[in-house]
Amino acid sequence: MARKERVLTANIPNAAPDDRPQEVLDELEYGKLSTKRYLYVSKHPVGEPLPTPIDDEPPYIIYLATYISYLILIIIGHIRDFFGKFFKPKEYADLIEKDGYAPWYDGFESFYVRRLKIRIDDCFARPIHGAPGRYVKCFNRIRHGKTGYLYDGTSNECLNLSSYNYLGFAQSNGVCTDYALGCVDDYGTSACSPRAISGTTDLHQKCERVIADFVGKEDAIIVSQGYGTNANLFSSIADSKTLVISDELNHASIRFGIRLSGASVKVFKHNDTKDLEKLIRNQIAQGQPKTHRPWKKIIIAVEGLYSMEGNMCNLPEIVEIKDKYKCYLFVDEAHSIGALGPGGRGICDYFSVDPARVDLLMGTFTKSFGATGGYIAGDKYLIEKMRTNYITQVYSESVPPAVMGQIISSLSVIEGTLNPGEGQERLQRIAFNSRYLRLGLKKLGFIVYGADDSPVIPVLLFLPAKMPAVSRMLYDMKIAVVIVSYPATPLISGRARLCVSAALTKEDLDYVLQKFNEVGDQIFLKFSSGIAGGSKVEGEPPRWAIEDVLATNVEDCKKPKLGYFN
Amino acid sequence: MSDVVFTTTTTTTTTTTLAPTWDLVEATIAENFVRYLDSLGNLPGGQIILRYIKSSYKNDPIRSLFELALFIFALNYFLSSKKKENKSELVKFSQREIDELCDEWVPEPLIKELSDLEKWQMYSIPTIEGHNGSHVTINNKKVVNLASSDFLNLNESESVKEAAKSTISNTGVGACGPPNFYGTQDVHVRLEEDIAKYLDGENSILYGQDFVTAGSVIPAFLKRGDLCVVDSGVNFAIQKALIVSRCNIEWYDHNDMDHLEEILTEIKPVMDKQRPIRRRFIVTEGLFANSGDVVNLPRIIELKNKFKYRLFLDETLSIGVLGATGKGVVEHYGVPREEISITIGSMAMSFASSGGFCVGANPMVLHQRIQSIAYVFSASLPPYAAKVASQAIKEITSNLNADGSSVIVSQLQKKVTFAYEKLVSLSKSSKFFEVASGPHSPIIHLALNTQYREELNLPTLYGSPVFLSTGKPSKFLNEFDDYYNIESFLLQKVIDYVLDHSSTLISRSKLILEHENLPVLAPRLQIYINNGVTTEELSRLVQILPIAFNEVLKNVDSELKLISLNSEIGNYKPHYINY
Repeated sequence: MARKERVLTANIPNAAPDDRPQEVLDELEYGKLSTKRYLYVSKHPVGEPLPTPIDDEPPYIIYLATYISYLILIIIGHIRDFFGKFFKPKEYADLIEKDGYAPWYDGFESFYVRRLKIRIDDCFARPIHGAPGRYVKCFNRIRHGKTGYLYDGTSNECLNLSSYNYLGFAQSNGVCTDYALGCVDDYGTSACSPRAISGTTDLHQKCERVIADFVGKEDAIIVSQGYGTNANLFSSIADSKTLVISDELNHASIRFGIRLSGASVKVFKHNDTKDLEKLIRNQIAQGQPKTHRPWKKIIIAVEGLYSMEGNMCNLPEIVEIKDKYKCYLFVDEAHSIGALGPGGRGICDYFSVDPARVDLLMGTFTKSFGATGGYIAGDKYLIEKMRTNYITQVYSESVPPAVMGQIISSLSVIEGTLNPGEGQERLQRIAFNSRYLRLGLKKLGFIVYGADDSPVIPVLLFLPAKMPAVSRMLYDMKIAVVIVSYPATPLISGRARLCVSAALTKEDLDYVLQKFNEVGDQIFLKFSSGIAGGSKVEGEPPRWAIEDVLATNVEDCKKPKLGYFN
Repeated sequence: MSDVVFTTTTTTTTTTTLAPTWDLVEATIAENFVRYLDSLGNLPGGQIILRYIKSSYKNDPIRSLFELALFIFALNYFLSSKKKENKSELVKFSQREIDELCDEWVPEPLIKELSDLEKWQMYSIPTIEGHNGSHVTINNKKVVNLASSDFLNLNESESVKEAAKSTISNTGVGACGPPNFYGTQDVHVRLEEDIAKYLDGENSILYGQDFVTAGSVIPAFLKRGDLCVVDSGVNFAIQKALIVSRCNIEWYDHNDMDHLEEILTEIKPVMDKQRPIRRRFIVTEGLFANSGDVVNLPRIIELKNKFKYRLFLDETLSIGVLGATGKGVVEHYGVPREEISITIGSMAMSFASSGGFCVGANPMVLHQRIQSIAYVFSASLPPYAAKVASQAIKEITSNLNADGSSVIVSQLQKKVTFAYEKLVSLSKSSKFFEVASGPHSPIIHLALNTQYREELNLPTLYGSPVFLSTGKPSKFLNEFDDYYNIESFLLQKVIDYVLDHSSTLISRSKLILEHENLPVLAPRLQIYINNGVTTEELSRLVQILPIAFNEVLKNVDSELKLISLNSEIGNYKPHYINY
């Protein structure tokens, strides 16, 4: 039999058409639920304090090894740079002045990319095709030369623990897709104009009504990009006489937005409400720098769910503080809207906090609803003013119709007006899946950060060499994960970030646990000491056998507090 | 550190308990010192330090003490460097005082409510019922839409819609991840290739929203200490981008090449001495959003090459509109794209899609993939939007006239010229308006006649000149301006009149005065020429415009009457159905 010769190309190929039957394809985007046992309702018991997330620490030798690894990488990088500039000037052409023009970027600025990231470049930016649902199809590639890749046109269908697809709406077939397609027919492909000029259609108004009702606010504004929502928001609400108090782990878009507004910023320790209160008290007392005039207003900016740590903000306490000191509260629900709370209405729903007590709720449609863009929701007078002074309303494109179609239809599914029952199932599956995978990893002995109900599960790897190892081994086992390291995290806590989805089945998660177990044994990843739960016997490091984990996990993960067995 | 501990403890013990004989003290010190030093040798690497100390500090205790002091100082410096805050400025309060201050503090509202004089701004935003395009439904009435930035009317193209639908049926709507984490699909890569090829660039990169493109590209290359020489009429996105980048800014008068040359010559001696050379850019727009002028590109290229600057060009409005095949000002003037180091553009305008892009040399684009924050920290463009833009480029480039120009682009250009010439000739006989934009701009700007504005005592420019004069933006937002508000309102009345009497929707320059950092031109009426509109429909508009201006302005002939319009502004009722 003649083997078909595959042609290698340097350009990413077009995906071949998939001729498997529709039912198979649907199942690959959203797995069927096998039994109702695999459901859970996520909700924080009212009145109970939020348990402080315990960040387990590895043995000191791991820290030491991590520092030494980076030291070696940096020293070797500098040595190579030093000699490279002499012997291979061509490779450094971009870093050297040429005919009186400065280089595009400094050698120092790009050192991290040239000398560290490039070694594990294949773990990032894997090109994909198709809907990134339960499975994600990554193009196979091999390293070619220093920076290039060769593609053979085949792809690897991996279980998807990498995409932001909390409720599993990344689908190319179904009611939401049909609705989005209908919107293309009825409204076109583009919004054609900024909102204030001629980019407002009845669909925009309907979409804003739907989202405002969903999050429990009087009115809302939608924006075509989540990043742009935050990056332009603060200019409308803050000026140089305003103080913005920001959590130290807030997303880049929030920090950029505050910088753009020219407001003063103070940072408080991540999720530390005591530090926050102390800071507010001092700031109110001290007033503005130099003049000591009182601040015009103080805005607290926090996120509902932190995407790198998997922590939730301590909303009940922050709301108390905010009321006590007459501050305003902005909550970025980029990751929590849809993913948390019994009704999927985000962090307020999860903690049973009245949304009216949060002044501005922001969120994105990328993560849970399979769309794109963001929203700001607040009181009517706020939003009305923002229709005239919010930068995106006047200077940037408005939300395109297909995206609104996806938003409206997915929200209808969640609320139960479209396909009754389906939304409920999705919400309870993400809650179950998050807890199931988190507890399983804890029992196996991995260090996992974050809150019990969080669908973001960072598995700590620490050593830089383990990041590509985990990524490549899991990729070969057909599991796609994201690895994150410096500068997105502190230098020593490199991690694999798993984003759980409602599209995954319990069997998928068992497969993930099995494979993680194998990888963890092979490259020594089971560092946990047991203080964050998961131990069979209290005080001992958890190192369950995988069979025991799979046998007990369904029941155990439904207990109110994960990993404490009495 | 162990040495320090040692000296203090032994001296205190010896002075209090033992007889104060100096010999004894010395002996104890020596003995303990050696013991401590020896124990240092047990630590990993300690032997080396020990040998170093022994060999270099023999018989020189003063030097040892001095070095020790230096060491302590360095340690203290590094440990305290995190707390930079100037403590001397802080006032000391007791907890009770802080409690009182907290109780007394009354903050301002989060946002000031819309005043009666501002509400009309919100009411005058038109709502389109159903499909957006060259002809739309407003208030249940079919009207011609001359307020859409989709100049080539590709939003109504069936093949473009088909491209969107087939992609959605394959990939869903959202991309569900940032480009660097499984958010890059084959369609994104295809579009990057298509854009680079279409605009004759080496490589290109996509952004999820057009407005954030400038604000992310400029700070990726311009840092503190870098220099850019900027046209003083640039759009809002670039103003904000420059502020965020914190680079040094020199302004030249809008499109004034002689002034640009003057400035470049003036700073040349300083630049020549600069070592190492910092990045230097000339920053300008292709087709200016605020004024409707086309940049004098050949002169700029000549100057930038002479003085060795790179050129940043914002082609947001010009791509798809200028040049025989819509390749923007570059094609308009027939200069090669490689002369422009960074070109940015929008796909939400002529490409009937969404998002922005940046085109240029390979190292420039690759650097953005890691260092440009709007690319790194936000989700990818939806895959279908990428496909739509690819299809739009195909529509523009595949259907060509005999002379090699694109059919739809040349159709649009003819309509622009038609309307422009008609309006210029009409404006000559009108007391109220004049054409303010250039002949090639697809957005025709009509400003109130200069002489008429003088009669009404209206200022030539609004906003704040601080940024221009100091290079640093004003710390305060612009105040609400009565005149700006009224002048905009007059134009809105013209728009409403045209909508009611000839079923045509036009627009006006809508800027947020309080956010603008540069001086703002007087409000202008804007007609967005659209390829889907016939010349008959354009003629109808051209005929009604002088009448509309006349109807609205005939009674407004003095500053007093102008101000009295404020009562009418307060009563402006929503002109459009809201859902």
